[in-house]
Amino acid sequence: MNRFLSQCIAGVFTLVLSVAAMAAGTTTGIQPAPLHFPSKFGSMKFPAKFPAGTTLTLTQWSHFVPRYDKWFDQYAQEWGKKNGVKVTVQHISLGDIVPTLAASIAAKRGPTMFETIATPAAFIEGLQNLADVNKAAQQVFGKQEEVCTSQSYLPITKTWYGYCDGWVPDPGDYRVSLWKAAGYPNGPVTYDGLYNGGVKIFQKTGLPVGVGMSPEIDSEFYARSLIWSYGGSLFDKCGNVALDSPQVVKAVEFQTKLYKSAETPEVFSWNPASNNQAFVSGQTSYIQNSISFYRTAQQFQPKNAEDTGFSPGLKGPTGDVHQTAHVWFIYVLPKYVTNPNEIMAAKKFLLDLTANYSWATYESELYNFPAFPKTAPQLWERGGWLDHDPWGSVPANKLEVLRNASKWTAWLGYPGDSSPAVSEVYNTHLLSTMMAEAARGDKTPAQAVKDTAAQIGAIVAKWRAKGYVGCPAK
Amino acid sequence: MKQVQSAIAHAGVSLADRKGVLGTLMLAPALAYIAALVAVPFFLAIGLSVSDATVGDPAIHHFVGLRNFVRVIHESAFHFGLRNSMIVTFATLILILVLATAESELLARDFRGKRLVQILLILPWAMPVSLAAVGWLWLLDSEFSPVDWLLRTAHLLGPGTLFGPANHLYYYGREWVGIGAIIAINVWRLLPFATIIVLAGRTSIPRDIFEQAEIDGAGFFRTLFHITLPALLPILTVAAMFTALLVFGDMTIAALTTRGGPGYTTQLLPYWAYLKGIEGGALSEGAAIALFLFPVLLVGAILALRFAYRTESA
Repeated sequence: MNRFLSQCIAGVFTLVLSVAAMAAGTTTGIQPAPLHFPSKFGSMKFPAKFPAGTTLTLTQWSHFVPRYDKWFDQYAQEWGKKNGVKVTVQHISLGDIVPTLAASIAAKRGPTMFETIATPAAFIEGLQNLADVNKAAQQVFGKQEEVCTSQSYLPITKTWYGYCDGWVPDPGDYRVSLWKAAGYPNGPVTYDGLYNGGVKIFQKTGLPVGVGMSPEIDSEFYARSLIWSYGGSLFDKCGNVALDSPQVVKAVEFQTKLYKSAETPEVFSWNPASNNQAFVSGQTSYIQNSISFYRTAQQFQPKNAEDTGFSPGLKGPTGDVHQTAHVWFIYVLPKYVTNPNEIMAAKKFLLDLTANYSWATYESELYNFPAFPKTAPQLWERGGWLDHDPWGSVPANKLEVLRNASKWTAWLGYPGDSSPAVSEVYNTHLLSTMMAEAARGDKTPAQAVKDTAAQIGAIVAKWRAKGYVGCPAK
Repeated sequence: MKQVQSAIAHAGVSLADRKGVLGTLMLAPALAYIAALVAVPFFLAIGLSVSDATVGDPAIHHFVGLRNFVRVIHESAFHFGLRNSMIVTFATLILILVLATAESELLARDFRGKRLVQILLILPWAMPVSLAAVGWLWLLDSEFSPVDWLLRTAHLLGPGTLFGPANHLYYYGREWVGIGAIIAINVWRLLPFATIIVLAGRTSIPRDIFEQAEIDGAGFFRTLFHITLPALLPILTVAAMFTALLVFGDMTIAALTTRGGPGYTTQLLPYWAYLKGIEGGALSEGAAIALFLFPVLLVGAILALRFAYRTESA
């Protein structure tokens, strides 16, 4: 009876969401799988209903695609009804997640779970080990994308400090008409192409290349992508500093050259929305960013959206392509949460969300990619969402380039895992600053790299002393 | 009945007479407030700065001496932060003192539209910092700045012009223009407050002194430098102290505008303390950076107050 009832509820909810989605102007076609809420995930079993009074509070960022938050809130309430849990979802701005989590841990009270957008490794001492829920997910949904595992697991302490349910690719975004006229009909493929084409476009139209060197996330991602694609790295596999290398110096020299020939000082003061704004308003020829700006352009600047092309990460001189993921969806459960029912409800919520991830991908307008590829087969299959964008791309397969994104996507800490040291280096904007110092001529590229390597070295040494950096003993 | 009245009278007289007790009772809420919101966080910050606490484990477990202080002063972000915090504070202070004095001179006089001018001058003070910063972000936007548009229209910006050849000034993307923008925003938001303080002092100067000066043939500047400013000195010191404290400890403007860039060139100490301690997770180092502000603020406040008392008593 219970099973029948749950199937009915799930069916009705799926129908309501489908009708709502169609009413919102989406195309018909492949739909997400019907919602389902199993009570067993591999080795983890959950009650059909949690004891009365069980609550679950989630604090997460306001998604770049507003439709996702509307869907998520509705889904969370439906999940709460199904599982007998009172669910509260708070959406706060991206920049408030880390300080709010810090304040909650310090106060030893706050929401049950936080969703962070990059590795929360810096908080590892205040977070519960989610080994059981990660293990159960892998038993049921198969292997997790490495881009996700690396942001939620620290091998040296064998700790799953988070649960990553999704990630976001970060393709190259180019203005088709400009690059076609410059002799690059498919946009730049290599960093050399970015320079040559970018300079040509800048000289002809005055529109600069839009890769940032500002203390913000997109500039940090770009700096890493460039360094990796030039064969360099910040860290080795065990988290030791590897920045001071000829490859990294070459990468910084490239960025200095690019800035002097095809960029303007605006890239030193950008915030995370600035490159989106510049691209949507037609003020730049190329950026590296996720597709959320494109979804905005589809609504408000449809001509610019049509003139937008996507490409994989750019190849460096050795042919390497590594692009940093743009966002991760990582839930953490702070240690201050001690109510066993609340903890179990949180874990059930995570596994159910993963089981129904095709909805998350669909309602985020293909922004969220699943951590477990099996959970959203509609995205990958031939004739699926990437071949035929349900959210109206012209041509319909414009986002097809994202199909292999996991192959050219890397993560903070690559090729190793994300330790608290990696997190601190990322959040204090050391790489974008290094690029800016060299591009502005404050330091030579070699000096900028050397100084930054020394700064990273101090950070790594500090966290190593606490036991959070290094390879696990064999 | 008499006994009761006597007891009440006795109790009342006793309380009123015991000034020490009454004074302590009346001060208690303020002292409790200062203890809870100033003293406790301050001593906590000292504790954190000599520990190895992180955002994940903010408890003070291990004493590490001055290691965090030594570590943070070797970072170039700290050097820029200290330099810029000083520059921004002093530049804002000087501009505010000059402009607040000028505004108070203006508002001390009667003229048509005075009420409107008063409202306009007070408006920035009433506006939330975040809203003001958004307005300034737009005003000095790298692509859509109306200031750039005006300069281009006046043929002062663009190829072959005074500020050219670029079509934009990229305010937040250049070191000194970015610092100038931070100073300008600080002046804009704090000027009304300083003006109110100075105006209160200005209106308390007896009018007959000015009338006497006028009869003696003193001009505007002679009156200003020989009468107005000396009389305003104590109140200007108070205005300067408030301004310095508010500017030196503020991180919002840098966070919302330049974000410390390009590189670290517009970094401010409070914002670097936040980035390092909260965003970066190194809570103890963030506390150490923040504590560098304390001696400067303390010495500044003591000197300003002593100067104000001396000037007033003289």
